[in-house]
Amino acid sequence: MRVFTHLLFQGLINLGRNKWAQIFTMSAVIFVSFLAGLFLLLLFNFNLAVSKTQDKLQYQVYWEKGLPLEDVSGQWEEIASWDIESLKTFTPEQALQVLVDSMSGDFDPAYLSESSPLPPTALVEISMSRGNEDDPAKETLYRLEQLPGVERVSFNPMQMDMARTWFKITSRVFWPLIFFMFVITGLVVANTLKLNQINRKDEVEILSLVGASPWYIQFPLLITGALQGFMGGLVSLLLLKGLHLLARDLLYFPPLWIRIEFLPPLYMGSLLAALTGVGIISSLLAGGSDSR
Amino acid sequence: MIRVRHLSHSFGRYWALKNITFSLDKGDFLFLTGPSGAGKTTLMRILHASLPLQRGKTQIAGFDLNSMHSRKLFLLRRQVAIVFQDFRILPDQSVWDNVALPLMVRGMIKKQVEKRVRAVLRGLRLDNKSWCLCREISGGEQQRVAVARAVVVNPKVLLADEPTGNLDKKLSLQLMEVFRQFNVHGTTVVFATHNEELIKSHQNAKVLSLKEGSIIDANWPLEEGGE
Repeated sequence: MRVFTHLLFQGLINLGRNKWAQIFTMSAVIFVSFLAGLFLLLLFNFNLAVSKTQDKLQYQVYWEKGLPLEDVSGQWEEIASWDIESLKTFTPEQALQVLVDSMSGDFDPAYLSESSPLPPTALVEISMSRGNEDDPAKETLYRLEQLPGVERVSFNPMQMDMARTWFKITSRVFWPLIFFMFVITGLVVANTLKLNQINRKDEVEILSLVGASPWYIQFPLLITGALQGFMGGLVSLLLLKGLHLLARDLLYFPPLWIRIEFLPPLYMGSLLAALTGVGIISSLLAGGSDSR
Repeated sequence: MIRVRHLSHSFGRYWALKNITFSLDKGDFLFLTGPSGAGKTTLMRILHASLPLQRGKTQIAGFDLNSMHSRKLFLLRRQVAIVFQDFRILPDQSVWDNVALPLMVRGMIKKQVEKRVRAVLRGLRLDNKSWCLCREISGGEQQRVAVARAVVVNPKVLLADEPTGNLDKKLSLQLMEVFRQFNVHGTTVVFATHNEELIKSHQNAKVLSLKEGSIIDANWPLEEGGE
């Protein structure tokens, strides 16, 4: 425990050694992770905008006329329990009222007052990026058509194609791009940190010559690398938040009405964890190559 | 304590050591002599496992270098200390910190570290320089710091590569006395030097002369071809 504390402390002290090299290293890490964060922010907001505008698909479901309303209500409850975005239901009377409201003022529905000629209907909205299904549009259409008493399910095929295309673009491009961005950031940050650690090559070599175990040599380097990665990531996130506060309403005007959102905690955590991990790995590589 | 069999080592096409065979027992003192480029430093570095073995077999302080994993080398280096020609000390740390380093890496408690470092610094007349940074002291003092760092751990084997190269005659003889003291207490010493006077000062020592990587003379019978 005493040795562990000593090495931990040594890792912290290392940050204060060779100040200019540390400042340049930290600056490089901060700017690279800031650029990575900015890219992530743009990608995230693009994906968000696409999800909000293009990801949704609506189905209009018509039940057979004259079907007992209790049966239809039961099916509405069932549909509501599915993984859907929204559900609007219309009894024949409600559907008639909506129709009347949409007509001009001289239309008189009095002659229809005894019974509505319209069937019960529902408007079901789904998200194309839900769950693990290959094709949520096809799956939902099939399930709706299988409901007893459903006469017809209509939808806009163009909207379906559009939603499918956007879903493919975002799912096939978004994650690979994020992965690619993490790899590039990792390589740049790892090389920067490794170069910084190589400054201490002589010290590592001397420690090895006097009988220090690989763990004794590498642990303080690992702590230094982890701290450099974490602090670089944290400062870059703070800079990114500052930029976000300045620019979040930049696209909030007609017809876009896009308010730029900041990265969610999962993304921030991933960026920090990735940079910390890269710091640890690059330190181990730098220390390991000189400790023979 | 040291057993070297048919040891050869090359740097590219240049053979720095050719078919070296010799043995040393516990408490032996060996002078390794020869002109520059004879292979003294290469032999020292192989014995300290700072250079990988290429050909031949080597055992030192109970460790077989042929079968030793690189992650276990630190165990060997805790028994075999070395003093380099170019000191290899940390210039930005104090004399005290440099000498205490091998004890610290062994996890020794602070009181024991202080006791041993103080004794060694006194023995090498460095006690008045304890808190000086190593880059601020003279070359001769730096050489003594390197020696102090090697002997502070009471190693089983002490390898010294021209440790008196930067010292005047008086200091060289004083340092020689330090090595001799350790040798008397059972440490096997391998001492590389050009200095004939030092060799003559130690009558009971073994002497091995190298030239162009080969043994050209030894003052005790070598076991040729033994396994």
